[in-house]
Amino acid sequence: MNKLGELAKRIGQLVLVLFLVTLLVAFLMRLLPADTVDIMLPGQPEEFKEVIRQELGLDKGFFGYYFQWLTNFVKGDFGSFYFAGGSETVASHLGNALPKSLLLMLYSQIVALAVSIPLGLSSAYRAGTKFDRAVSGTLFTFSSVPSFAIGLILALVVGVKLGWVEPLGYVPMSEGLVEHFKHMVLPVASLSVGLIAAYTRLLRSDVIATLKEDYVTMAASKGLSDRRILWRHVFRPSSITLMTSAALNMGGLIGGAVVIENIFSIQGVGFEIIYALGTRQYVALQSLIALVAVGYVLFNVVVDIASGFVDPRTRERRGLR
Amino acid sequence: MDSVKKSFAFRLTVAWFALIIFFAVFGPLLPLPNWQEVFDDALSVTPLKQGHLLGTDSNGYDILSGIVYGARISLFISFTAVFLGGVIGSAIGISAAYVRGKYDYVVSTLFNVVLSVPNLVLSLALIAVLATNVDPNVPTSTGRRITVLVISLTIVIIPILGRIARAATLSWANREFVLAARSMGSKDRSIIWRHIVPNVLPAIFAVAFLAIGVVIVAEASLSLLGAGVPDGTSWGSMVARGRNDIEFAPHIIIIPLIFIALTVISCNYIGDVIRKQLDQRQAKL
Amino acid sequence: MLKLENLEISFATSRGNLHAVKGVSLEIAAGESIGIVGESGSGKTVLSRASMGLLAPTATRTGTVVFDGQEISSLPREQVRDTWGTGMAMIFQDPMTALNPVRRVGSQIMEGLTVRLGLSKEDARKRAIELLGRVRIPDPEQALKKFPGQLSGGMRQRVMIAIALACNPKLLFADEPTTALDVTVQAQILQLLSELRKELNMSMVLVTHDLGVVAGHTDKIAVMYAGEVVEYASTKDLFARMRMPYTEALMKSIPRLSTPSGSRLPVIEGRLPDPTKPEPGCLFASRCPYAQEKCRTQHPDLTTDSNGHQYRCFFPLGGAQ
Repeated sequence: MNKLGELAKRIGQLVLVLFLVTLLVAFLMRLLPADTVDIMLPGQPEEFKEVIRQELGLDKGFFGYYFQWLTNFVKGDFGSFYFAGGSETVASHLGNALPKSLLLMLYSQIVALAVSIPLGLSSAYRAGTKFDRAVSGTLFTFSSVPSFAIGLILALVVGVKLGWVEPLGYVPMSEGLVEHFKHMVLPVASLSVGLIAAYTRLLRSDVIATLKEDYVTMAASKGLSDRRILWRHVFRPSSITLMTSAALNMGGLIGGAVVIENIFSIQGVGFEIIYALGTRQYVALQSLIALVAVGYVLFNVVVDIASGFVDPRTRERRGLR
Repeated sequence: MDSVKKSFAFRLTVAWFALIIFFAVFGPLLPLPNWQEVFDDALSVTPLKQGHLLGTDSNGYDILSGIVYGARISLFISFTAVFLGGVIGSAIGISAAYVRGKYDYVVSTLFNVVLSVPNLVLSLALIAVLATNVDPNVPTSTGRRITVLVISLTIVIIPILGRIARAATLSWANREFVLAARSMGSKDRSIIWRHIVPNVLPAIFAVAFLAIGVVIVAEASLSLLGAGVPDGTSWGSMVARGRNDIEFAPHIIIIPLIFIALTVISCNYIGDVIRKQLDQRQAKL
Repeated sequence: MLKLENLEISFATSRGNLHAVKGVSLEIAAGESIGIVGESGSGKTVLSRASMGLLAPTATRTGTVVFDGQEISSLPREQVRDTWGTGMAMIFQDPMTALNPVRRVGSQIMEGLTVRLGLSKEDARKRAIELLGRVRIPDPEQALKKFPGQLSGGMRQRVMIAIALACNPKLLFADEPTTALDVTVQAQILQLLSELRKELNMSMVLVTHDLGVVAGHTDKIAVMYAGEVVEYASTKDLFARMRMPYTEALMKSIPRLSTPSGSRLPVIEGRLPDPTKPEPGCLFASRCPYAQEKCRTQHPDLTTDSNGHQYRCFFPLGGAQ
């Protein structure tokens, strides 16, 4: 009965957050110590700068500028990189950069889940044993080591000293799957180590709690094997916690990816952000940062909805209220 | 819990933390070469050779001196940012949870909005804006960069600790003793100071240790991206400067990396122990 | 069918060794129904779980358990498991917590059928529908698709019975099967269990704190107190000539229909002895209205009278025979 109202309220909240986030980013860019165009295009003739100002709406005050930018942003026009000789659209840069970053993060999440799920389940199942303590101790240490440290050391040992894989650059899938993955191994490994540690620790404590549930004893009394109970009865309810955690860790992963792209010379979104920053392209920078934030918010919404599908408990809670 | 406090791992962690703080505070009194002194005859010396305990980098700087001086900068940045962010965040979070209503709604929405920009990207944006000179040919001074870094990271920390403070306050504000104090006509200010703050503080403290780790990593990442402190002034900056020498003199970056990693591990471990102790105390109530 | 001999169970706890079950010997014939009655903490639930072998690894067990001619107490867990579901099955106390909240009712019933009996999915589905009809769930086809959270307590308990009966067990343990339910639903569920037991010619162990529950549904009753069997007789004999003062006290605490559901039962004065600290005399002495000096210093043995009625008392009700 109230489902529609609930939905409308949630969408309203989402729109408000998206609006405020873009406003925040636009506001940040106004903290520059001088006029944006003066900083972006130093040494250019004043008439040229004036044209750019009008084009961007910077002459219309903060809100005038913001709404013009926002309208374009929603339409998919993210502005341009300006140079002395001309300009390149941010969208054209993103066309190259976005797939690289998305693949990098996707692979990292897949690897992290693929390793942490069996590890978390088995260490919870053997809680208190030597195996469990060894896993927990190792993971605690690795959860604290920043991804760039792991990246640099991997690049040194595996890439340079052993020469097993290519340490630098990006090769698209179309130029050969083997080469593609060879270049991705180190960046993905660097990013997933921290995630593995976080997910495994979380899953372990969650599973230990679930193992004490009545329905686990009930499942055992049917004569099922421990393995089946662990996967079918214990992992399912714990997987929702894992999904929520994957969403929470996305922010850290995005930050980590910015550094890792830089270390391994992958020209993804993080690379573009650093490029915009280095070349003082504040309009492009604003769009890029807003894009990251909007993407992050939307990802969280998707996970939230998905976990509702997986877990009937949250579905009911929402449906009933 | 006492067993954890007495455990070898905990003692080791505290000892490491004490060592780093000792470096930061008493570094200049140690009999070490100046961190900016160049040893022309000793470039990229590996550790324990030619009188350099941790070796030198490719410019001939003594790495141990760099580490000791870097401890001061890295810890200054992270402690200041976490302290300021903690104080401001707690003030906002506690008051929001205590007052509730519209003020609380605005505060939690704003926290959510700021948190929806990933940490590193937010600090990157802030630095990009605040550390820029109008004239691209005038480099930003190290002092200004450090100030800007502290401000940016403080802004990143405010919603993180603010949210914790808000949640903790919410769970305490309706306990009997608070309601009792209210019914006896105590002023809000005194209730907050006497009843809420002492109970909320340990939770903030536990997360603050984790936050110090987060800030140390963020500082190093920013340096690595060229947006942090330049010229090997901080640990992250030492890593950034040694990056090009990774092939022939890996110790130049490995040593500061180890210091960063061990310090972050210590922060996380201490934060973890505080949190566990807190959980146990709460379980007993 | 099931024979317990001198069964002892203890748990290692932080406060010391908790002696939960002390030297219990019982025998259940094929098709027979036995009630185990006692307050919470008397060891009755531990006893039933231990008979099946479902205890946590922190428990230590001595004595023998013989099921269907096989001494299962000396078998490794993997082999005991083969008797679960198909030989012995269990209905748990709380249908709210004993069904997995994130799996559909259908898959929880069919699981035992496909895994233990090797039925095809289609056959398992048919059998599941048949089972749900048997436990009188209206519209079984629809019920299969529901999550436990979408059913009422009584319906969930029926589902649990269907799960327990799925693989045609020879012996059914029902651990407080009605405690969590409303009074009217309690009667329905008990009636259903009784009918199904006769229909399927199962043995049943009915564990409860409520003498009223076992009265009409069992052949024999064992009363437990502080881990010991204190009275053991046929149901008829027990109600006709009660020997133990403790059983009498339990009798007085039976809820009447006039007591509103959910209200606390009139409890027996005093508390159960601390199971971590052995006491010299009769364990019930401190709460017994008839206790004399001897009761506080000597521990009474289980005595059998001429009718085979067993009791553990120096001064039984109705005098010694």
